[in-house]
Amino acid sequence: MRALAPRIGRRALHSFVVIFLVATIAFGLIAIAPGDPCATDDPRITLAVQAQCRVRLGLDGPLLVRYGQFLSHAARGDLGQSYITQQPVAEMIASALPNTMLLMALAIALSLIGGLALGVARSVQPRSSLGEIVMGTAVVLYSLPEFWMAQIALFVFAYLIPILPAGGTVTTITHDYMSVWGRWWDRVDHVLLPACTLAAVSIAGIARFQRNAMRDVAGEDYLRTARAKGVSERDIVLRHALRNALLPLITNIGFTLPALFGGALFVERVFSWPGMGRLAFDAIGQRDAPVVIGCTLVGSAAVVLGSLLADALYAVADPRMRT
Amino acid sequence: MMQGYPPLRAMPRLIALAMIALGLTACQSGDRSASSAGQTGGTVVFATPSNIETLLPPAQVNITTAQILDLVFDYLADVGDSLNMLGDHGFTPRLANRWTWSPDSLSIAFSLDPRAKWHDGVPVRAADVKFTYKLYTDPAMGSGVASNLARIDSVTTPDSLTATVWFKQRYPTQFFDAATQMRILPAHVLASIPVASIRSSEAASHPIGSGRFRFVRWTPNQSIEIVADTANYRGRPLLDRLVWDIAPDYQSALVKLYTGEADMYEVVHPDDVPEVAKHAGLRTIVYPQPAYSFLGFNMKRPLFAEAGIRRAITLSLDRTSMVRNILDTLGVVAKGPFSRLNRISDTTVAQVPYDTAAANRLLDSLGWKRGKDGMRARGGRKLAFQVLVPSSSKYRVRMASLIQDQLQRVGIAATPSVLENSVTLSQIHGHDFDTFIGSWISDLSPNDPKQTWTTSAETAGLNYFSYSDPKFDAAIDSGLLDLDPARSKAHFSHAYQIIVADEPGVWLYEPQLVAAVSARIHTAPFRPDGWWIKVPQWYIPAGERTARDRVGLAAAR
Repeated sequence: MRALAPRIGRRALHSFVVIFLVATIAFGLIAIAPGDPCATDDPRITLAVQAQCRVRLGLDGPLLVRYGQFLSHAARGDLGQSYITQQPVAEMIASALPNTMLLMALAIALSLIGGLALGVARSVQPRSSLGEIVMGTAVVLYSLPEFWMAQIALFVFAYLIPILPAGGTVTTITHDYMSVWGRWWDRVDHVLLPACTLAAVSIAGIARFQRNAMRDVAGEDYLRTARAKGVSERDIVLRHALRNALLPLITNIGFTLPALFGGALFVERVFSWPGMGRLAFDAIGQRDAPVVIGCTLVGSAAVVLGSLLADALYAVADPRMRT
Repeated sequence: MMQGYPPLRAMPRLIALAMIALGLTACQSGDRSASSAGQTGGTVVFATPSNIETLLPPAQVNITTAQILDLVFDYLADVGDSLNMLGDHGFTPRLANRWTWSPDSLSIAFSLDPRAKWHDGVPVRAADVKFTYKLYTDPAMGSGVASNLARIDSVTTPDSLTATVWFKQRYPTQFFDAATQMRILPAHVLASIPVASIRSSEAASHPIGSGRFRFVRWTPNQSIEIVADTANYRGRPLLDRLVWDIAPDYQSALVKLYTGEADMYEVVHPDDVPEVAKHAGLRTIVYPQPAYSFLGFNMKRPLFAEAGIRRAITLSLDRTSMVRNILDTLGVVAKGPFSRLNRISDTTVAQVPYDTAAANRLLDSLGWKRGKDGMRARGGRKLAFQVLVPSSSKYRVRMASLIQDQLQRVGIAATPSVLENSVTLSQIHGHDFDTFIGSWISDLSPNDPKQTWTTSAETAGLNYFSYSDPKFDAAIDSGLLDLDPARSKAHFSHAYQIIVADEPGVWLYEPQLVAAVSARIHTAPFRPDGWWIKVPQWYIPAGERTARDRVGLAAAR
């Protein structure tokens, strides 16, 4: 384990540099983007009031000074205040992040289960017509944009066949008055559609990856030995081949995170899911720069940490990496 | 404690009466008056794609916030159904149960209703009115309303139940400014908070008002909930609970309506009205919007400084067919820079007719000759300009295309420039545009033209077009200062004749809006200055209630 420390330390340093660069780029892009959060066509808001608004939001200073202030505050965990709601950005992110994590955790779990099952099935029975159909469908879903998928899922399951709610995390009015079981089901009911939508686009990728990994280990000596010893084909696949073919998947999850995070941006918006994606999307529309930068920063940090974690897990899982 | 409910989504359809009032021609066709006996209770969920920025009244900007604040807070008095804003005729008591003018009309003493209490139980007192005025006019607050209070000198409190508003001068809308510009705020809650940090204070997100509904909770980006103040001095509203369900966009808000998760959506696009009509649980209500849209010319551009060009463009546009094409029966041709709902409007103002032959003659006489491609040019310069329009407005984007088509027929190249809303605002604020299709929403007060088209509005209003005519300015000022209503209106009519003849813009249309409402909700008439004003009179008959209507007020405790 001691051999791993420098490697993880180097990766952590790289991650820090990546986050710093992302923060700088996000700040710079928003600063040069057209639009003014204080501009309005309300005749009551005079130009003097609009100028006062710019002073209040700290938009009257030179760009470099603002950048310096931003870095200094961000280093202390202060991401500023929302231009729109005046709430601290850190608080807004703290309330949105758990919702996104829940959604992503479920999406990852669902896509892993679906992708693994499909990948293994395809490697064991490559000529099965049912497998062909399922894999074909998964590939089609993989190639569709998330926001479009989400709109279609919403239309079909909330409107055409109204079996699932149209959005939100719970039924706003009555959730607090439901029984414990009712409340639990209410939450499940609301998370199903966005989680499945998000998972659907990743299943094909994982399945293809897993199928190839299974094929790679199919000719290994230890499988031949197991067969020679009379181990059942089921055990060979699940206990020997799958366990070894799982290693590359750990890395793949790290690569899946950015895509899922990006997908969540659109899926959360379509399903009114109050997570980081929706927070960022709304903030972009409202020119709420501190929230956009905060979300970008936290999003990139989460992705970088995710891949760092995947790296560490891989090193732990594969003894060859420890030497 | 109530137990688990059956799925709520299905319930509105199960119990809704098959009532689709597609009243596209008759306003308020579906409205029914409420009878209060035994009708209290019920929840109404409004779907809105508009986020809430603050619940602090002086900082309010967007319309959804105004709806909530108007129900949670009180003004001193209300504009009555006649929508008169001159003098005090037609105003109805609210926090002030009576008022007395001083003999020189330079002050009004408002007597507060002694029964009025804040939602935390503290009585409403004159000191609250004085504090409110101070906060609204504090430069550090940066309230948009401050400019409307500029002619108020001060507020004094001769006793705890009397607030006297003093004016710097006499003018027709003194009472309107004093009584309806400020939502009265609780001094005992807000006075101790530094003004510079009041926008981010707890009080800005958890308001304590004196209105007939009181605030319960705000979950940012999700919902805002208010409930009936059952002990209110003006009586409890009929509904128990109002919820604004914040959807990420228009389509999501509509889906919430279709699935029964929401009960009302206030502005359905005309394209979606047929889909709404398919839902047995929904009905539509058509109501007027105090707004007008126009194609404004940037008079700083040499092309539009030429009166003949402006006239030729107006002559070339068949506004009647364009309005019919885009709005069908949900709009009328605008007759000038006003909403006809405003009492100072004048629809008899002489109009420039649609006459392409006259337009062609005029352009020829000005030296703009057609080239081989049919488009006009003069001295090697093409007769071409851009039409700036915000992408958020479906109507205006379509209108830009029709304008392009119609002007092309007389040899003018008008190219729509469809931009995101805040970029559009940046461009018009910076006068970086040729023409702009604008839509001004009026508060129905006589101050409207002053804030939009006078020379002073160039620096302190919406006159981004640099239109300036001293005769127009003088007529507007005379209208605003004349205490005789008939003479005041005559001054405004004169001003409208001047501006319509000057043509700083082509007056395009005045829209009507369509709301979709759950059939189980019995609404009161929608007022042009705010459909929500009579929400306290809305009710849901006991037999038509769903699970969420039966929640009661327990959640608010």
